Amino acid sequence: MVTGEHQDAPLLTATGVVKHFPGAKALDGVDLEVYPGEVHCLLGQNGAGKSTLIKVLSGAHRPDAGVIMWEGNAVAFPNPMAALRAGIATMYQELDVVDGLTVAENVFLGNEVSVAGFTQRSTVHARTTKVLERLGHANISPNTEVGELSAAGKQIVSMARALSQDARLIIMDEPSAVLDSEEVANLFRVVKDLSDSGIAVIYISHRLDEIRQIGDRLTVLKDGKTVANGLPVSDTPTAQIVTLMTGHEGTLEFPPRQDVPFGEVVLSVQDLALDGVFRDVSFDVRAGEIVGLAGLVGSGRSEILETVYGARRATSGHVLVEGKAVHRGNVSAAVDAGMGICPEERKTQGLLLEQSITHNITLSIFDRLAKVGFLDDAAELAVAHQQTDKLGIVPRDPQREARTLSGGNQQKILLGRWLAHGTKVLFLDEPTRGVDVGARAEAYQLIRELAGSGVAVVIVSSELEEVLGLADRVLVISDGRVLKEADASALSEHQILDLIVEGTSA
Amino acid sequence: MSLSKIRSLALCGGLVLALGASLTACTGGAPTASTSSSATTAATTATNGNSAAGKKVTIGFSAPAADHGWMGAITKAAVAQAGKYPDVTLKVAEGTNDVNVQISQIETFINDKVDAIVLLPFDGAAMTPVALKAMAAGIKVINVDREFNSPFAARTTVLGDNYGMGVSAGTYMCSQLGSKKDAVIAEIAGIDNLPLTKDRSEGFAKALADCGLKVSNRVAADFTVQGGEQAAANLLQAAPKIDAIWNHDDDQGVGVMQAIKNSGRKEFFMVGGAGSANVMRQIKDDNTVLKATVVYPSTQAADGIMLARLLVQGKSLSDLVEVEVPRKVTLFAPVVSKTNVDQYLPTAFES
Amino acid sequence: MSDQVSAAPASTRRSLPPSVTRNLGLVIAFLAICAIGYFTAGNRFASVDNLMTILRLASIVGVVSIGQCFVVTSGGIDLSVGSMLGLATVWATTGATQYYADQTTWLLMVFAALAVGVVGGLLNGIMVAYGKIVPFMATLALMVAAKGLAEWIANRQTQIITVRGFENAFNADPLGIPTLVWIFALVAGGGWVLYNRTTFGRRTVAIGGNLEATRLAGIKTNRHIVMLYALSGLTVGIAAVMMMGRTMAGTSTHGSLYEMDAIAAVVVGGTLLKGGRGTIFGTVIGVLIFTTLTNIFTQNNLPLSVQQIAKGAIIVVAVLLQQYVAARKTA
Repeated sequence: MVTGEHQDAPLLTATGVVKHFPGAKALDGVDLEVYPGEVHCLLGQNGAGKSTLIKVLSGAHRPDAGVIMWEGNAVAFPNPMAALRAGIATMYQELDVVDGLTVAENVFLGNEVSVAGFTQRSTVHARTTKVLERLGHANISPNTEVGELSAAGKQIVSMARALSQDARLIIMDEPSAVLDSEEVANLFRVVKDLSDSGIAVIYISHRLDEIRQIGDRLTVLKDGKTVANGLPVSDTPTAQIVTLMTGHEGTLEFPPRQDVPFGEVVLSVQDLALDGVFRDVSFDVRAGEIVGLAGLVGSGRSEILETVYGARRATSGHVLVEGKAVHRGNVSAAVDAGMGICPEERKTQGLLLEQSITHNITLSIFDRLAKVGFLDDAAELAVAHQQTDKLGIVPRDPQREARTLSGGNQQKILLGRWLAHGTKVLFLDEPTRGVDVGARAEAYQLIRELAGSGVAVVIVSSELEEVLGLADRVLVISDGRVLKEADASALSEHQILDLIVEGTSA
Repeated sequence: MSLSKIRSLALCGGLVLALGASLTACTGGAPTASTSSSATTAATTATNGNSAAGKKVTIGFSAPAADHGWMGAITKAAVAQAGKYPDVTLKVAEGTNDVNVQISQIETFINDKVDAIVLLPFDGAAMTPVALKAMAAGIKVINVDREFNSPFAARTTVLGDNYGMGVSAGTYMCSQLGSKKDAVIAEIAGIDNLPLTKDRSEGFAKALADCGLKVSNRVAADFTVQGGEQAAANLLQAAPKIDAIWNHDDDQGVGVMQAIKNSGRKEFFMVGGAGSANVMRQIKDDNTVLKATVVYPSTQAADGIMLARLLVQGKSLSDLVEVEVPRKVTLFAPVVSKTNVDQYLPTAFES
Repeated sequence: MSDQVSAAPASTRRSLPPSVTRNLGLVIAFLAICAIGYFTAGNRFASVDNLMTILRLASIVGVVSIGQCFVVTSGGIDLSVGSMLGLATVWATTGATQYYADQTTWLLMVFAALAVGVVGGLLNGIMVAYGKIVPFMATLALMVAAKGLAEWIANRQTQIITVRGFENAFNADPLGIPTLVWIFALVAGGGWVLYNRTTFGRRTVAIGGNLEATRLAGIKTNRHIVMLYALSGLTVGIAAVMMMGRTMAGTSTHGSLYEMDAIAAVVVGGTLLKGGRGTIFGTVIGVLIFTTLTNIFTQNNLPLSVQQIAKGAIIVVAVLLQQYVAARKTA
């Protein structure tokens, strides 16, 4: 095991933590040391045990073995409230704020300030305002209903709750997953402020570039064990981190672009507009080509995708597949014309989580396989086997429910659905969200192969690196307009960001 | 498989528990059989000869859900009546407003080959086919209160007299207000559109017309306390001065009385309907506006039980010259006032 | 017996699919209730006549429950079935309908009841799919309106059926089994095939599992939702005809509270109220559990109010078991 050095007394020490679940050992000897005022990054692939470790530290689970020391004393938190009282606050991925309550009510949720059962609104408001100021968000009113806030705003509320409880350790589980670049920058500023004031942060993220920006030290989990404990971020090369996480050598690499020329224009979007969202969007995609839409959240990039696909009804403009116009605002017409989509929210928009891999793969073709309305199970199973083999979906058992699969394999189910359908144009919205670093390279390879087989691909990603690395051609989108269209090789991340900043200020 | 076991055990347990609870409830509450012949009430006209034990008789009884005081009293009186005859075994399948379920109850009686069925149908017309089936199976069907639409569906029918109720109430008012030709008379009806409500109102209007009076204000409630309160409150608002009110139903009358109490009005007198014990006690005490009520007998089903027994045993109503039980019995709707209340109080129903 | 979607013929049969074990538990529960019936009422319970009495009682609610099962599986709910049943019997027995039926054929009354049911279902479907009204509210609205319309048409009276052919058709017992039971068996069998073996059933399960994903996969979800409610309406129309056959009358009080009986049977049978998983077989057993219970209580001279308590307890136990199974699956 690799370990790092530190001078002060640790705030939190976990030694040899073990946690069993029926049929699985989630944690199998985890060590972790967190010092006051540091941003400690916790890394690991999906299933490495990060979530379980967080739940153990925050009192949601009791460890089966091992010792947790908090400020030098051995502790065993019976419930999350006890951990919070001791000074450990946790911000879960699915933010635990109540949409129907105001900001102030959320901040003091479970800790209401009351006199004889009556809540003390003015006290609560004053304190909430103070905490929000400390977080640099005095612009949020304590009276606002939390449901009206963006994901970023909700995070701030969640952090405010932690601060109002005098937390000395804040655990953040993938806080950047729901934010765009601008919001992430703001989050980092807040995290820096917190650590400057002596508060420790355990930061969990899949994005290595983020860890480079704000992390002090990092701990890597693999298969429920600590494989690297407290390495200084600045001295640890990316290749080493990836190796530690995946257990084998290798870095994030994009497959090489093809040399062969692209085919005919398959998808043609002409002067497409959606009132109040975007306008004047025109572009072509050829067979075998990957086109990327780059832009911030709110720039209209996902909406453009959804409108071309018919999930939203365009105000004006045309979409043509192989020269034939597709009926506006009609998904089934789009699918019949040969389009397919792997949506941004895989679980809520893509998969039938409780149903088998087979039924997920054949969702858009079971009709076609059926004989006069009667299902053909054998044909469906054959298609499912064909796709699981081709895409390397693990497990190979087509009867498994989709929810039991990892993010990467779930994404492959969606790809399999459209491959089985014989899709000519494929839209990929955030194709690697929630996919392990280790599994990403494989996903990129698959997407490239798909294009190589003659499919026209359009991808949207909030990671510019991904768009530039994967796409042949990039459309830079800002404020509902296409600012620039160019070959990916002719653009850099820096250029794109500059364009967006100029575009929005103009 | 352990799961299935748990499930079945749980279901079993729940059912046994429910069965057990109801068994104790039933045995605890059921009146014990008694041969006493002194229990002659206004409703029982049987003589000593007829009440003497005879051939064993099994009677099935079915009535709608007891969601109204009068309906609850119907079943209680029937069970009590059966308890008076040692030769009668009563099977009670009471309490449903679902004709589908009530039909299946009658089908069960047919399967069980009971001797007679006393049936107060939720819906007379809808229960006719199954009553015909029972008659075809040789079972004597006694139809109570709500009439079948085929004369062949019942051997004997026992009915209250809704038109007569209206006539009785109207005649009583005439006797009280006879000289006052401009008297303001109000009527609080039950559920409008029901044939029985129509009958009651028609009888009432006819009797009033005979002495030159008419209904000035008419509102309709829905046989519930809440509905009675609302209808009466509206009525009292609409009519600043009233001489007399006829309220069709004593159950909704509880709400009507509340509305009158809230208004502080005392210038009129009120006549009730159906004849609950509660109302009769108020008439006896004579310290409210309630001065009389018109009886709609809640002992109809009890009479049905009595007639069923006679039919099966081949006896007749012995005070009649006729050797067979009559085809149809329409019960009288007498006026109960302070002068005769003691006579009716024992058979009145508790609402 | 395996009629749940994930139990489609597997290439390998290593273990029993969960749907089989779940239905097995239900069957055992049903048999336990039958055993109680036998122990308390003996041969009176275990006779062919009594079996037919139970089945006749189960038939009408049973047919409605089959339609409800489809709607619930899709993540919806149909509260209008009870009062729509009443409305269909009223519409099919008005003086005018009976006059024309007398002139032509009694099938006209059947057609009228089915048409009322289907039109009501289409209305529900359009409100839910295109009006984007939550199913609970859309069908609640129709439930109230249909009740009012039925009372208005019938003037709160019971309309007696005088058409001779209709009566004869429903008094026959082909092969010794009542017409009502034949219809129930056909609807249940047809429902099973439709649910498990056809694209209609697959679409229903997919929509219940994830409406948005199904839409984005190119399936015409709105059209299917309309068809689902129309199917529920069709079963209501069939049940209305059965009710008319059983009572020879049409009235607005027919079918009162059947929506609750149907939903209870569907959920006790193992269909998830949130959608995505349903079972026709379980629904039929669910209906039989409740009707057998009613029968046992009648046979033992016990008041129905106590049965309501037992019914409530069964619903709670069934739902707790569902949650227990779900929790064990995710652990």
